[in-house]
Amino acid sequence: MKKQLGFYVDAKRCIGCFACAMACKNQYHQASGVVWRQVYPLKEEVYPHHERAFYSLSCNHCEHPACMEVCPAAAYTKREQDGVVVHHQEKCIGCANCVRSCPYGAPRFNPGTERAEKCNLCWQRLDAGLDPACVKSCPTNALRLINLATFNEPNAVQFPPGFPHMSRLNPSTRFRQAELPKIIKPEDK
Amino acid sequence: MIPSMELPLVFFTLLSQLAIGLTLLYALRTAGPSVQPEASAKTQWFVSAGILAFSLIVSLTHLGHPLLAPRAVLNLSTAWLSWEILIFILLFALMAATAYLGVTRRFVWLTAATGFIALFVQGMVYSPSSFPAIHNVLPFAFFLVTAVILGASTSAWFAPQDTQPLLRWILVGALSAGLLLFLVAPCVWLSGGTVMRLTGLAYLASPLYWAHIVLGLAVPMAVVVVSRRIPSWLPILLLAGALCGRVVFYLDTIHTGVNIGGLQ
Repeated sequence: MKKQLGFYVDAKRCIGCFACAMACKNQYHQASGVVWRQVYPLKEEVYPHHERAFYSLSCNHCEHPACMEVCPAAAYTKREQDGVVVHHQEKCIGCANCVRSCPYGAPRFNPGTERAEKCNLCWQRLDAGLDPACVKSCPTNALRLINLATFNEPNAVQFPPGFPHMSRLNPSTRFRQAELPKIIKPEDK
Repeated sequence: MIPSMELPLVFFTLLSQLAIGLTLLYALRTAGPSVQPEASAKTQWFVSAGILAFSLIVSLTHLGHPLLAPRAVLNLSTAWLSWEILIFILLFALMAATAYLGVTRRFVWLTAATGFIALFVQGMVYSPSSFPAIHNVLPFAFFLVTAVILGASTSAWFAPQDTQPLLRWILVGALSAGLLLFLVAPCVWLSGGTVMRLTGLAYLASPLYWAHIVLGLAVPMAVVVVSRRIPSWLPILLLAGALCGRVVFYLDTIHTGVNIGGLQ
């Protein structure tokens, strides 16, 4: 398998502190309302302990990206060397077709520049041998950069509940699901 | 993803479907081997080409950078949107050529076939997997029904008296199909997954959806059936009704991104 970088989201470790989202914002200074990385709390139907489990998500750098497929201006490319899906701002015509078509809501429309934009997996930092800003900032090591060609975590899942199941796109994000808290009853002591 | 009315796209899709509807209906009612081109044929084709040209110009206002619009045909290998742009430009050229060079049977059928393909391509643009409720043949079905309704009613302005009964039957048939389709689709969505069900609920709770059903489908059908003719004001009412329906299509079809963290 070719090298394919992606994120490993450890929902068991994530405390929902938004440090990853803030680090992304600090790195790229997106316009107000434009968010490349979002921390989603799991709803009670998925995890019945409200606000105790989260998915930190941005672009999933899919094997077959919907954004790249639908972009009429060919403003998206997928890097050969690591599978990162890059959006080229200068080629974007601002039709927002990618914004509508990505089932994960990764590309966002910037009303200031009138163009779409999204997480580029900090490819400039990668090329300099650094981790992406979000990964570097995570205080609990719940967000990691993985290479799917060598990734070998038996408990990792690709489509946990709460994450849209789009097998044709083959998103590169992998998850460790949150575990239910252990409730210690008085009689257990 | 923030839902938006996408008004330029609402007008582009509706007006282009009206132009295609006019073309399809002209081809249908002049299909017989002994039927001659209508006296008003040239005017009608100029009107169709004009409406399509106007809709294409309106569609440019939807782009963040309209001057970069020529780049929109660069991804023909995978993007339906690139094909949509290309085929609508071709359709305009065919309509204009038919109007200028003379309304011949060959040109009429070529243009009508291109119009039908254009509707299919337009349907594919609006059926991405991110909208589970319309990730199927429904957008094409919606667009085809709309094109026939708008085309049949507007054709009544140009068509001679002897073809009016045919237009009336086509219009009543298309309105019946439209009523069935637009009423059943949201009800079917209610039995789907979470995002599909949310779409169904959003449609059924929208006053614009019911305005489309009542003003754009039910009332016009009653008018045509009772009066046994297509009144000259009816296309305006139908266009207004279709406008309401199209706004709902853009505004209330729910994106999977809305429910991340919950069951899809």
